[in-house]
Amino acid sequence: MLSIKNLTASINGTPVLKGIDLEIKAGEIHAIMGPNGSGKSTLGKVLAGHPAYEVTGGEVLFEGQNLFEMEADARARAGIFMGFQHPIEVPGVSNASFLRLAYNKKAEAEGRDELDPLEFDDFIHEKIKVVAMREEFLDRSLNEGFSGGEKKRNEILQMAVLEPKLAILDELDSGLDIDALRVLGDAVNKLQRADRALLIITHFPRILETIQPQFVHVLSGGRILKSSGKELAVELEERGYDWVMEEAAAGGAR
Amino acid sequence: MSTMVAGAAFAADLLSGPRPAEWKELREAAEARLAGRELPTMHEEDWKYLDLKPLAALRFGPAPKVAADISGRLLPEMVGTRQVFVNGRHASHASCTSAVPAGVRFFPLSAASEACHALGSVGAGDPRNLFEDLNAARFEDGAVILVPKNMKAALPLHLLFITSAEAPVAVFPRLLVVLERGSELELVEEHHGEGAYLTAPVIEIRVAEGAVLRHERVQRDSMEAFHLGTLRAEVAKGGQYHSRTLSFGARLSRQQPWLRLAEGVEASLDGLALLDGTQVADTHSFIHHAEPHSQSHQLHKCIVDGRARAIFNGQIRVAPRAQGTDAKQQSRNLLLSETARVDTKPQLEIYADDVKCSHGAAVGQLDPEELFYMQSRGLNADDARNLLTYGFAADVIAHVPVASLRRALRQLVMARTQASTLGDLS
Repeated sequence: MLSIKNLTASINGTPVLKGIDLEIKAGEIHAIMGPNGSGKSTLGKVLAGHPAYEVTGGEVLFEGQNLFEMEADARARAGIFMGFQHPIEVPGVSNASFLRLAYNKKAEAEGRDELDPLEFDDFIHEKIKVVAMREEFLDRSLNEGFSGGEKKRNEILQMAVLEPKLAILDELDSGLDIDALRVLGDAVNKLQRADRALLIITHFPRILETIQPQFVHVLSGGRILKSSGKELAVELEERGYDWVMEEAAAGGAR
Repeated sequence: MSTMVAGAAFAADLLSGPRPAEWKELREAAEARLAGRELPTMHEEDWKYLDLKPLAALRFGPAPKVAADISGRLLPEMVGTRQVFVNGRHASHASCTSAVPAGVRFFPLSAASEACHALGSVGAGDPRNLFEDLNAARFEDGAVILVPKNMKAALPLHLLFITSAEAPVAVFPRLLVVLERGSELELVEEHHGEGAYLTAPVIEIRVAEGAVLRHERVQRDSMEAFHLGTLRAEVAKGGQYHSRTLSFGARLSRQQPWLRLAEGVEASLDGLALLDGTQVADTHSFIHHAEPHSQSHQLHKCIVDGRARAIFNGQIRVAPRAQGTDAKQQSRNLLLSETARVDTKPQLEIYADDVKCSHGAAVGQLDPEELFYMQSRGLNADDARNLLTYGFAADVIAHVPVASLRRALRQLVMARTQASTLGDLS
């Protein structure tokens, strides 16, 4: 589904990604972990098409298409979704009308029928159950005055509405208490399907107890230093990140 | 110097017609202040950013008596509670004086009565405000609206001001709104028009102890019009005054709201201006916290496109005895073109020490992070921009209590922000 080859990217002329290789197939769950400043959030933003980052080398194919020939909105309509670490507040636009607009733009691109407000009302009421969101949050302005946890809940609701092929979830656990984390982790699990892939970007291994990845990658200094199965997350929980970097440095020296 | 001459001619021109007989004292005092007055120039601090030369370049005649088409301008909630003024005169064919919310009393000034004597009594008047004086000298009609003690009007009252003329005319609508102790009213004031004209309305408001007035003001004047409005409100102990002024029309407009807040008053004075082309919209507000423990909230937003220009000058004065004052002011401005311009100036004068006052001003473009968020959900760049612009404006109208007005305003905002193609956003 997603094939990343020797990807390099920089922001304001400073290299952040220094050669990333990663293959993600439909149905797989991958976790990108790493210390702060490792470049893991940058990877998510580059894949989603954030304009502040410049891709300086390498290639990314999404279902065979060159990702970098598509604007952020085209990537979204093609099936890439990024759950933001810090979702944006948009006063004046109701959550429900924004969700309907996003849904209809995607439906239009896929040649499906758009939903009118009444039809969408029925549709969204089923979706909010998945993330245990209260109805009042639909009528409020998009993310305005939402707590950190409510914003994350709203991100997963958007994922449920947009049904992406590849969902990149950037620090889903930040700002969440244990209970909210479990609810949202369960919601993500419920949404996972054989034709969908997940890329979980996280600093803390905690979220990987609920959303269990088949593959764990440690990113540091803009490179993937180690890739392994989910047991790596357990090891990182126990030992932190330093040993991975020391091991990589020793490997590099050899 | 030529503008000064033109300015002097300007006031003299407007005063050259016959003086209506009633309110002799009010008119004479205004005329005395107007004698020799010129149109303000940009050398005056209060008019630094607003060039009145286009106004001086036109000659305005008296407004003819015409019938205006009001269909399409009506709000369904207020079919029976609507009063129409055409070219500054109460249009009795379009509104009968009993068409007001139950319990509310309405007196057209042309049918002068006891209730009308208080005209010109709210606030001290501002001897520098030429347009307020022009109104006092030459208003022909208007109304006094009285809400009796403890009367809570169940329906909103809709006041529609329409100006329509083939040659440039000047109109001076005048209102006095009196809420007696413990009463409540929702007032919708709308200005529409066609052609070139000057409208200089003066609205006086007196809110007695514990009374609540909610005032929605919609300026949709013609794009050739000049709108120079004055509003004076005195709010007595424990009273509330909440207003929202939405400016869409007029080639040049200036709103001068003046509020005096007594003890424990809650007031809000919000504004939204949507400007394009060569429109200029100016808001000069003055909020006087005269006594302890009053609150004022002011959110003023402008969206400026083309070569348009917005001006905001928000003065807040906290008197020495006004301890416990809570005043918040926000001026937020969105520039949609390279040639659009905003001048914003908060002006806080605080003479008490136990107060909470905050103010902020921001002028800028749409936030790239917000645009990316919209695009990451599948909206193309244009749709993302239009949606965010719409949201910036819609934020101010989200809490308009009259549903049909809120819908109409949303549609107006959608059309002006090119967001109509995005479908129903309510």
